[in-house]
Amino acid sequence: MNTTATNPSANKDLSERALGALLLAPAALLLAVIVVYPIATLFWTSLTSVDPNNPQAGAAFVGFDNYLRAFDDDRFWHSTWNTILYIVVTVPGALIVGLGLALLANQPFRVKWPVRLGLLLPWALPLVFAGLIFRWFFEYNTGVVNNWLVAAGIEPMQWLSTPTLAHWAISLTIIWKASSFMALMLLAGLQTIPKSLYEAAEVDGASKWQQFREITLPMLRPAIFVALIFRTITAVQTFDIPYAMTGGGPGDSTETLAMYIHKTTLDFLDFGYGSALAALMFVISMVATAGYLRYTRRSTSRSGED
Amino acid sequence: MKSWKILTAAALAAAFAANSWAQQTTLRIFTGGQQRPDVMRKIADEYQKRNPAVKVDVEVGGATSEAQQQYLSTVLSSKDSVLDLVLIDVIRPAQWAAQGWAEPLDAYLGADKAKVLPTYLKAYADANQVGGKLIALPYFADSQFMYYRKDLLEKYKRPVPRTWDEMMETAKIVMEGEKNPQLQGFSTAGAPIEGTVCTYLVPLWGMGSDLTKDGKLNLDTPQARQPFQLYGRMKQAGVLPRNIAEIPTDRIRIDMQAGNLLFAMSWGYVWNRLENDADSKVKGKIGVATLPHDQGGKSATCIGGWQVAVSAYSKNKPEAVKFARYLSSPEVSKMQAILASHLPVFPSVYKDPEVLKANPWFAEALPVVEGAKSRPVSAQYPMVSDIIRSNMNAYLAGTKTTDVALNDMKSRLKTVYR
Repeated sequence: MNTTATNPSANKDLSERALGALLLAPAALLLAVIVVYPIATLFWTSLTSVDPNNPQAGAAFVGFDNYLRAFDDDRFWHSTWNTILYIVVTVPGALIVGLGLALLANQPFRVKWPVRLGLLLPWALPLVFAGLIFRWFFEYNTGVVNNWLVAAGIEPMQWLSTPTLAHWAISLTIIWKASSFMALMLLAGLQTIPKSLYEAAEVDGASKWQQFREITLPMLRPAIFVALIFRTITAVQTFDIPYAMTGGGPGDSTETLAMYIHKTTLDFLDFGYGSALAALMFVISMVATAGYLRYTRRSTSRSGED
Repeated sequence: MKSWKILTAAALAAAFAANSWAQQTTLRIFTGGQQRPDVMRKIADEYQKRNPAVKVDVEVGGATSEAQQQYLSTVLSSKDSVLDLVLIDVIRPAQWAAQGWAEPLDAYLGADKAKVLPTYLKAYADANQVGGKLIALPYFADSQFMYYRKDLLEKYKRPVPRTWDEMMETAKIVMEGEKNPQLQGFSTAGAPIEGTVCTYLVPLWGMGSDLTKDGKLNLDTPQARQPFQLYGRMKQAGVLPRNIAEIPTDRIRIDMQAGNLLFAMSWGYVWNRLENDADSKVKGKIGVATLPHDQGGKSATCIGGWQVAVSAYSKNKPEAVKFARYLSSPEVSKMQAILASHLPVFPSVYKDPEVLKANPWFAEALPVVEGAKSRPVSAQYPMVSDIIRSNMNAYLAGTKTTDVALNDMKSRLKTVYR
């Protein structure tokens, strides 16, 4: 009796599950076509190599040769190191500037749109445009930065052809471009913090700084982590801004890994090696973000224990 | 009966429509933004007038040779048939032949090939044949010249310099006399771009040496250091702009046009812009000469210019070849010479009175173009170019010494020239 009673409901469960799968199928198929297929192709290509002097002979399977070649390639390490430099400078840089902007935008201004527009504009600007605009700013003869220096009685500097200065100029541009997106995400986080917490703190006599440290920062932590993960992943892929500002120069001293991949595939047409480098960049991305994910998981489980 | 008639009429109409559809061919040609797409449009309009069945779309791409090739690599690696014809840089035929991107033209030209090829400047007939196959047809010729300020040389009573040392000396005298902090002595491409390859090669060739010898790398010579030392001396003398490592090709033209440059090493297109652009401050003040050389060397220059190739993936190859042959005709060479100061690919056109009226310096340009040398011919040219230009750029920026730049160049070029 029992079994016959449960059977219809099991059938219903099954049909509901089937319906669910059916409804998910288009999305899954779409993902397979636009995500799984290219990734699989990239990985397969990374295991092949084409003779550059006779490309029409086609690709030959070479196993992990392309990966081994990368470990021996100074330029791979150098461009990876440059990428890490951009991550180390621009991720905290954009976080600090972005947090400042978000706090500013969260103030009860009477007219809100100028601040919000100021936040949206750099974010809406295409990356290459930002790179070109800042290249003009840092240009030696006609750039506004050197104009300021001259007005202040300082010798003009070769911002884009001195490696250290070029790194700073590029990092500054990336921070300018990325901090507005940071600010937008943090602003969303700020607006979820209940006002009552601040009122209670006020009653208890907490200073503004104490309120910021004890309420704003902890409550904002999930938003900060999401913002950091996004920024870190895009920092690993840094391409447009250095490409537009220096083209990797002088020499290849500002070249990022993404630029080297672009050059290897589209200039040198070495798709096998380029794909291997791209796969390695994916690994770097995973390593860089895995740290955050572990930290967030730990911090949320701990707050659950409390 | 009636329905049968209607059916026949409909079939006839459909056949007629299909026929006229087939007769109208649309050809799409790709050109870079620097190769005067406006002039290409005028030429295409003329062709359309004479061939009403053909419509030509001009697609305009990136300003630099590398940016164009990056786009073309994407289109052609995916075997896309969207482009029928492509303007390619003179450095590309070897790579295009190796990749199979260009439709070999031999079969289309047939017996004409032997008749037509000798009418071109020899260097261009050679540059477009790879392994016995005709890869593209010459569209316009180019090489580097020395542009100079005629008015300033006259003011300081200095002759047109024949050697680099004379040029530096003159530049110093004029710069001191003019007291214009904006005025630069000499400029050439120094940014990490294709043009910077010639910045290295021209002084190397001037000393009678070359990058390779019998297919082997040839950089263990004293002459291989010469280009670095030459620009080093110019830098020390304050003749080169301090931001030389940031200067791309067209920046030289802009500086010259603004009246801020005394000597420049640049390509043929500059003349037309300096003489005709509304904002040019140097109209009528510019002279063109062969490039200076080192004491004991002789003047050398890089061959440039653009070729028209038919895409191997085009669906209208016979029509495309016909248009390519028109683009590579003496008539179009003349049109380009007058409209854009593009150097003709036929020696005969240099003597045309109308051409000479628009470009008086073309008379002296012919021997220069005839003596211009090719950059290394290789299926891996983009790699070769990247190695040379990034090291030259690093040297000009002051981040590498002669020894480091030359050694890096050698060790990386060894992977190409084994």
